[in-house]
Amino acid sequence: MSETKVISPTSRQEGHAELVMEVDDEGIVTKGRYLSITPVRGLEKIVTGKAPETAPVICQRICGVCPIPHTLASVEAMDDSLGIEPPKAGKQLRELTLMAHHVNSHAIHHFLVAPDIVPEDLMVTAINSVSEIRKNAQYVVDMVAGEGIHPSDVRIGGMASNISELARKRLYTRLRALQPKVDEHVELIAGLVLDADFPEGLGSHDQPTVASDGLYGNREFFDLDRFTEVMPESWYKDPEIGKKACSTIPLYDGVSVEVGPRARAVEYRGFKEKGVVAQHIARALEMKSALSRAIAILDDLNTSAPANVGNFDVRGTGKLGKGVIEGPRGMDVHMAQVGENGKTEFYSALVPTTWNIPTMGPATEGFHHEYGPHVIRAYDPCLSCATHVIVIDDDDRSILKEDMVRL
Amino acid sequence: MVLGTYKEALSARSTDKQIQKISQDGGIVTALLSFALDEKIIDGAVVAGPGEDMWKPVPKVAMTSDEILAAAGTKYTLSPNVWTLKEAVRQYGLEKVGTVAIPCQTMGIRKMQSYPFGVRFVADKIALIVGIYCMENFPFESLRTFISEKMGVSPELVEKMDIGKGKFWVHTADETLSIPLKETHGYEQNGCNVCLDYVAELADLSTGSVGSPDGWSTVLTRTDAGDSIFKQAVEAGLIETKPMADVKPGLGLLEKLAKEKKEKNQKTIDDRIAIGLPVPYKASTEKEDPLANY
Repeated sequence: MSETKVISPTSRQEGHAELVMEVDDEGIVTKGRYLSITPVRGLEKIVTGKAPETAPVICQRICGVCPIPHTLASVEAMDDSLGIEPPKAGKQLRELTLMAHHVNSHAIHHFLVAPDIVPEDLMVTAINSVSEIRKNAQYVVDMVAGEGIHPSDVRIGGMASNISELARKRLYTRLRALQPKVDEHVELIAGLVLDADFPEGLGSHDQPTVASDGLYGNREFFDLDRFTEVMPESWYKDPEIGKKACSTIPLYDGVSVEVGPRARAVEYRGFKEKGVVAQHIARALEMKSALSRAIAILDDLNTSAPANVGNFDVRGTGKLGKGVIEGPRGMDVHMAQVGENGKTEFYSALVPTTWNIPTMGPATEGFHHEYGPHVIRAYDPCLSCATHVIVIDDDDRSILKEDMVRL
Repeated sequence: MVLGTYKEALSARSTDKQIQKISQDGGIVTALLSFALDEKIIDGAVVAGPGEDMWKPVPKVAMTSDEILAAAGTKYTLSPNVWTLKEAVRQYGLEKVGTVAIPCQTMGIRKMQSYPFGVRFVADKIALIVGIYCMENFPFESLRTFISEKMGVSPELVEKMDIGKGKFWVHTADETLSIPLKETHGYEQNGCNVCLDYVAELADLSTGSVGSPDGWSTVLTRTDAGDSIFKQAVEAGLIETKPMADVKPGLGLLEKLAKEKKEKNQKTIDDRIAIGLPVPYKASTEKEDPLANY
């Protein structure tokens, strides 16, 4: 006899989602479905018809947890559509911003999963460690990008301005001093994850991993021809769930994929493990890689070089620009097209967790349903995603039109 | 109290000959900011630096005493220094910022410190505000217009501007010209007519020429930070002082002008409130002290 377990909303994550699991007599999940129930906000629609500079400002507000990848993906998409190549210093500052954000965002996730893995006597230590790291990482974003949350200085064509030499030295010293702290933190978290008694193989699946770059992102990687998007109704094969789900299902090469720290580690750093534990370890290790990269950039940065291209022509060529950024939670793709009148004609965002949604549900299968939330949290889901709505008749609640309304 | 809260009033000037030569009056702002920078009390200052147009200042983040010296002298048009405070903390990476501000800017900075919206981690890094006395301020176009049209001299030729003895003065290489201050009325910024603060009441310390003889400034030390920096600069021999009682025209003139500004502008506020205009100040009938700055 099968039973359905529903967790709604799933907790300790950004946004609202539901986990629906069919379980057998022993409580083992036979069918897992994970769906976004975050309401539509229409951000992609808001930026359409407006000046290209509007898009990064609006789109970074997709989310307050990872605004930096959205800003970067948005400006990169605009750069691409307008045919702009930012100067070296501008690119370095963008990358530095993202590296600091990786460290910050992964630390937040450790706070979110702390109740699952940290024993009571170490809780204060772990949380203090998270706070200390976040404080330093956000300091970098504050200074380089103008604002820790919703950065104001990431602009089309580069960055608003370069940082001063004093700021560069200060950041360098501060990040060097942070290194032993991060090493210690990673060791602590990795140790706790291994001690947490997750069953062998929990959360492992056979779906492919997709990542555009080891840390930053690469627009050349993302091939539109390999990408398809299906409506939730046809994916979930359950009309009730399909109706309720708010996100479309993106597929790469026709299958659902995993993106995020483990995907990047597998694709670029020779990482082989699968499942919940592997995801936590890959995420923790990535903090070290990102921090080292940030320090290397600060070492190399020429603070007297221009950080942007100056004035640019907003009259687009109609080219569909792509901005592909590796956010902490995975590949974030923004696509933008600027018309000859200098207005955004088309805008679309394929955000990290959207890629993971169809993979996460089935990843819960084969284990007791009590482990379901652990599997979900290992992806660090952030559900402010591309959203789909249906038009319902107000009187009889029947579906009038199945349509996509973007993000 | 028309001069706001203050600890001590003194007549003072910088002892540095170079500062004396290029500064407006006693060179207090330049001397204090340079001293604070050299002593690492601040690690940089936002000052009204020279811009592309003569007499149109541009806020600059000064990180050496030379850069502070380059910004010496009063400009009679606004330098939006508050706007650059955030940049000083963010892109320049300063952790203790000093600045020079006229009364309205001082109020803005204090409000920013009380309600730090959009200035996360900026407001708490402002270590020193040197306030300057201000009766009114002219938009750059106003200033240019009355100098070139009323005084008949091109602003590019002007070497120094000054207000004193009821007149607006300009000094060129060959001549000194003046017009009565009332000729400049109507050219000031609209907001200046409802401002109740003449002596930067919320600054760490305030300074300006009024009350002291030529070449000297009247200093009001207000906060512990302002008082301590001023005393240290005096002890270091960078600033010399005289008691206010020993100088002409003395503190009475400063009080008189502050009171006049408050009375005149409180009346404008009352008039505006009476016809239903929004004014960010209270009517005199709503205040215990009609001359208080709120």
